[in-house]
This record gives sequence, C-alpha cells and structure tokens, in this order.
Amino acid sequence: MKKILLILLFTLHSVAMAQTQKIEVMGMVCAFCAQGIEKSLKSLDQVNDVYVNLDNYFVIVDSNSNNGVQDEILTKIIVDAGYDVKSIQVINDSVALIRAKYENK
Amino acid sequence: MFSKIFIILLMFINPQLIAAPMSYKGSITTMGEASKHFSKVESNYALTGKDSIGIKAFKLKGDGYDVYGEGLFYLKRLMRVNEIESQTNLWLFTESGQVSVKKNSRNNDHFYLSPKIQFDYETRRIYAMTSHQILRVQHDNFDTTKAKAGFSFHKTEYNETQPWFILELIHTNSMSKKLEIIPTIRLINKALYLEAGVSTDGNPKLHLMHTF
Repeated sequence: MKKILLILLFTLHSVAMAQTQKIEVMGMVCAFCAQGIEKSLKSLDQVNDVYVNLDNYFVIVDSNSNNGVQDEILTKIIVDAGYDVKSIQVINDSVALIRAKYENK
Repeated sequence: MFSKIFIILLMFINPQLIAAPMSYKGSITTMGEASKHFSKVESNYALTGKDSIGIKAFKLKGDGYDVYGEGLFYLKRLMRVNEIESQTNLWLFTESGQVSVKKNSRNNDHFYLSPKIQFDYETRRIYAMTSHQILRVQHDNFDTTKAKAGFSFHKTEYNETQPWFILELIHTNSMSKKLEIIPTIRLINKALYLEAGVSTDGNPKLHLMHTF
C-alpha cells in the first residue's frame, strides 16, 4: 500500500512538473531542414520529447520543467536553425497525444 | 596523395549529409555529386545560422579538358525570407584553392578564386533554384550556370519519404557547347536523400546522401 502511494505521488509529481509548448514556425518546408530544430531541441536537458509537424507548421516540445523551456531559448534554437517563430504557447496535450492524433488520422 | 587524404578527411568528418548548402548552427554538412562531366564532395561547418566554412574537392571533365580542384570556401546566407508555407534564400559562396587543368597533354596548376551566387525558393510541393559560378583559370573560362525546378508528387509527414520530380539544366563553359538537361527523381526523408537521373544525352547522375 505504501509502495502504491509512493508510485502515485511520484507519477502525480512528474505530471505536475511537465509542460508542453507549441511553436509555430515560419519557413519549415522540408524534413531535412527541420531535423536541425529537432536535434537542437532534444539536446536541451529539460526537453523530454519533440514532435515536428510539417503539414501544420508547428513543433511541440515536452519538457520536465514546470516552467517549460524559456521562450528566448526556443526562439534562438529556431532562428539558429534558419527559421522564424510565429508564436509560442503553452498547451495541455503532450507530445505523445498530439503525435497520436496526427499520425493516426 | 594530398587528394586522397583530402577525400578521406571529408568522409570522416561527416556526421550529417543534407541537401541544403548549410544547416543549423554548429552542424557539419557534407554533400557529394557525381556525373559524367562534374563531380564534387564538400563539407562545411556552420559557424552561425548564416555563415559556414568548408572544404571542397571537384572534378570537371569534357571537351578535352580535365580539371581537378581542391579548396576552402566560405558560405554566406545573404538573405532568407521565411513565410508560413515557403522559404526563399540567396547564398554567396566564395571559394579558393588549387586547380589543375589538363588539356592536350598540358598540365598546369594554378591558384583559383571562385565566387558563386545561388537563389532558391521552396514550398512543400515546389522547388526552384538557379546559380551561377565564376571559375577562370588563366585564359580558360569554366563558369557554370545551373537551374533546377520541380514538384513533389504529394506532401508527406516529417518521418515519411517525399518523392519529387526535378528537371536540372547545367551549362559549363569550355566543357560542352550543349546545355545538359537532366530529368531527376528525388526522394527525401529526414535520414535519406537520393537523387537519380539520366540526361537527355544518356549520361546518368546519382546523388545519395544520408544523415547519421
């Protein structure tokens, strides 16, 4: 019982700590180029997962920080990869959920 | 000997191979191209998202000429316009090194300085590019003009392979009086880039790239 409680607490804590951000990217027209964005974002310690959607021009970032990744850091990565940021917003769905939604269409 | 070391070096510093002239800051981009009249291998390191430095080896063959060069280059992205559904670029390559020109049993080595300007436009379905490179070696003119345009058969997701039809036109002074026309099939996914075509004169061209 104690173990179950601990696991539950740990899970709840992880969920509470995680944050997902959606970045709308300008100029992201090919997968070869977009790799730079994915690789750079995944190299950040606080990033758990990244999902790139070329059709809808966005990138989703799951982070293990409750504040997410700073907008300035995300913008710098996108700009250094050669693109421009249209918007950054915090969303409720995780990368896994969004990936499932678009890949199972 | 130097040439072999140069090519081996290019192969070993090759963690990433992509289609664009340069990639994101801190990345190493390597490209190769082979056809009857022109072959090259080059690798560059992106100092920023707009500048890179690199090394290159190339070979031109035609109309009695055998031209082989090795050099260093600086690549500058002069302009990029990012729209939500397109990307437009203007690039400037400045290249210099040593070139060997063989013709009629003459073989001369020279220093060369070669600027190239490239303009390209791309959406998820359309690609167009034109470039002009100036390469003069004493009285010989090897300027090259290139144009590519094509379309993708359909849009694909990030992890899927995207097929393209690309028509390529190339003309290099002193190599041939004819314009080389090469219909090409291009397949791209995030890890693999394959371009294969046969010119209207029946000369094959193959371009295979991979991202590690």
